[in-house]
Amino acid sequence: HIGLSKDFSLILNDADDFNVIIQVGESKNKKEFRAHSVILRARSPYFKRALSSEWITKENDMIVFSKPNITPAVFDMVLKYIYTGELELKKYPGEIILGLLVASDELLLGELFEHVQDY
Amino acid sequence: MSSRKQPKGKIRPPKKPNSADAQFNDNWDRLAQAIREIHKKNASILSFEELYRNAYNMVLHKNGDKLYNGVREVITQHLEEVAVSQVVPAFPLSGASSSQTNPNGAGGANFLKVLKTVWEDHTTCMLMIRDILMYMDRVYAKTANVPLVYDLGLDLFRDTIVRSQNYPIQNHLLEVLLQQIKLERENEIIDRTNVKASIDMLLELTDASTKDTVYATDFENKFLETSSEYYRVEGQMLVGEYDAPEYMKKVDKRLNEEEQRVRHYLSQTTEPKIRNIVEEELISKHLKTVIEMENSGLIPMLRNEKMDDLGRMYKLFGRVVKGHDEMKSAISDYIRELGKAINETVTSNTTAEGGNAASGDKQTGATVAVRWVQEVLDLKDKFDKVQNLALSNDKAFQTSFNEAFEYFINKNSKSPEFISLFIDDNLKKGLKGKTEEEVDSVLDKTITLFRFIGEKDVFERYYKQHLAKRLLLGRSVSDDAERGMIGKLKVECGYQFTTKLEGMFNDMRISSDTMTDFKEYLDKSVLEKPKLDLSVTVLTSTFWPMNLSASPRCNLPPELTKACGTFQNFYLGRHSGRRLTWQSNMGTADIRGSFKARKHELNVSTYQMVILLMFNDKQDGESLSYEQIKGESDIPEADLKRNLQSLACAKYKILVKEPKGKEINPGDQFNFNNDFTAPLQRIKIQTVASKVESEGERKETREKVEEARKHQTEAAIVRIMKDRKTMEHNLLIAEVVKQLQSRFMPNPALIKKRIEALIEREYLERATGDRRVYNYLA
Repeated sequence: HIGLSKDFSLILNDADDFNVIIQVGESKNKKEFRAHSVILRARSPYFKRALSSEWITKENDMIVFSKPNITPAVFDMVLKYIYTGELELKKYPGEIILGLLVASDELLLGELFEHVQDY
Repeated sequence: MSSRKQPKGKIRPPKKPNSADAQFNDNWDRLAQAIREIHKKNASILSFEELYRNAYNMVLHKNGDKLYNGVREVITQHLEEVAVSQVVPAFPLSGASSSQTNPNGAGGANFLKVLKTVWEDHTTCMLMIRDILMYMDRVYAKTANVPLVYDLGLDLFRDTIVRSQNYPIQNHLLEVLLQQIKLERENEIIDRTNVKASIDMLLELTDASTKDTVYATDFENKFLETSSEYYRVEGQMLVGEYDAPEYMKKVDKRLNEEEQRVRHYLSQTTEPKIRNIVEEELISKHLKTVIEMENSGLIPMLRNEKMDDLGRMYKLFGRVVKGHDEMKSAISDYIRELGKAINETVTSNTTAEGGNAASGDKQTGATVAVRWVQEVLDLKDKFDKVQNLALSNDKAFQTSFNEAFEYFINKNSKSPEFISLFIDDNLKKGLKGKTEEEVDSVLDKTITLFRFIGEKDVFERYYKQHLAKRLLLGRSVSDDAERGMIGKLKVECGYQFTTKLEGMFNDMRISSDTMTDFKEYLDKSVLEKPKLDLSVTVLTSTFWPMNLSASPRCNLPPELTKACGTFQNFYLGRHSGRRLTWQSNMGTADIRGSFKARKHELNVSTYQMVILLMFNDKQDGESLSYEQIKGESDIPEADLKRNLQSLACAKYKILVKEPKGKEINPGDQFNFNNDFTAPLQRIKIQTVASKVESEGERKETREKVEEARKHQTEAAIVRIMKDRKTMEHNLLIAEVVKQLQSRFMPNPALIKKRIEALIEREYLERATGDRRVYNYLA
């Protein structure tokens, strides 16, 4: 699946057909991520509900979603995991790994949670 | 803080040291408010992320149970309100079934409509509540072993609305549903959507104790009970008002309607149950009544060949256990009844015609036989058609029909003779002008009747007699048809049954060759040629049905005796060791008679020739008495009477009898009828044709049959014992019956007598020690 993961990470970084803007973090440590609701909803039960028509708010035809209690660094990893199914934890400091563990629990990314916990 | 163990791993979210309760209350207030907004359909102002995070934090801080109970409370409160403000005001006017105030069930329909809205709102809200409480479902509900929040919502709806303790919602709901169904059964148009919504709701709710759907526990039984009652009443009403075909159409319609109803808005699991009820109330309970309906029931349908109605009855009644059995037995009884009627016309006909049966006109016994067979065949055709067109060729029906035919055919003790006579009639004249296929189909049909005969050996005996007459008198129309018939009998009964019949055919062929040779012999011979043409048919005595071992008495004229002698020398010269006996009772002769008007060629029997030749020596007007003729000719009395009858009392009166009359009596005087006139030059004096046997003849035939059965039984016993060497009594009887039943049904007493006879003749012995066992003696 190497090819598949690679292609999906390209979608995450370069694609211009995103339809979700996610504002992550609080005060100074804030960042906007762009993503595809199809992929988010397919990969995460949390986003499946969060991005359903009952709950979304739109600005200029873009779904806007705010996630203040997660840091951009951690959310970057979450997105990577969601798109590619892969994460190399060794590259990251322990503080971020801890944040990832908490976030994966909240976002109901069970597989990631187990993986980080084992690590 | 609680000291309970953390369920997850060592890594924990950071603990907040300050008052967790305040935090909880804050979170919970916001969530409760949000749920209320959802109930108010104000969800668009809410943030999923925030609410989810609230609930997540509560569960994370071990307040899952408080959250769960809080949610339960908020939802319950809401539903109580809904009950009071929406459901209760929509109750149909008191007494939902009072159709006077509420003729079209409009109140009921409205009630269902309100319930539908309430239910839809509730499920929509529950989906949203489920969304924001997803973390609680995943983490808390699982470990605490409580229902997921959506299921909790269903249970609360069940207990607060559907089975409310405070308001009679359940009663109204069930009554309205049943009323709507009743209205629809009575051809009112109802709004199925509303009914279906309520039913679907009941199907989605689960009864806590039985784990079955609330549809099954609360609704279905009531529905089935009222349906039972409804169709019980309707069944009684319908049988009283409609004839059988109409009744069945109504039932068909009802079955169809109920099936449609289930498909459109009930649960598929109800389908077999409601079907059973309609079948029980409308079919099972009225089976006999419908079958026996005067002028329209099963028998009138058969009588008028109402194939569609019969087909409908077959299909409809096949749905219930006893249905086909009742039909079968009713039809079989009817067949027996019709068969009995056919048998009765025959017996009344034969007794009525008994007096003039010998008169030679068309009303002879043979026509009675032919008519009987034809009527039976017509009946068979009729029921074959029914079987084919209405009964899907059901094997069980066929078997039962066959038994009925078998029953009445064998009730007529003359049936073997009649069937043989029918074939005789067809092979003699009936087949003229018919195509080969038609001939074949007539013969095939006859074979189906033949199958029903129990006493096939009796049939064989008659068939042989009739075949013999056809062959010897040259009455058979088609050799192919004759052989075809024998072929069919062979297929039915095996070659043993037909070897003798085939032997008779062989005799005819060989005789024809012999006659060619005899002519050549005469041409070459130096002896004086006979003054007449002699044609001889040599019959092998074992093949032919008559007793050929002795010559019947008869004084033949000298010329004939001489010619016979010549043939006898010729024949015995070729086949030494054979014995010829002359059967003068079976011959015919062509003689020329000179009458006042003209000469006629007369084709007569040998006996008639003998009688007529006596008048050659007499003067005109000189008569011969019955006794004189009898004495001089020595013809057996019965034959003499019959032949005199043919000459003096039938169509061509070659002799004149004094006193006149149809019967020949001792003392009668006979004169040669010099004034005889006839349009044709060649005249055939009807020999006595095949006809139903007289009682005396029948007795004789019966005796012969019994005698033959004795031999066949003994032969079977010996065959079996030779093979088995030793055998127990009952087993032997069973085996003998098995071997013989294709020809006749042997009576065990008869078999026992034959066994005893064989023991006496030392073919068998009783085993020493066990008298029930026999040994074969080689």
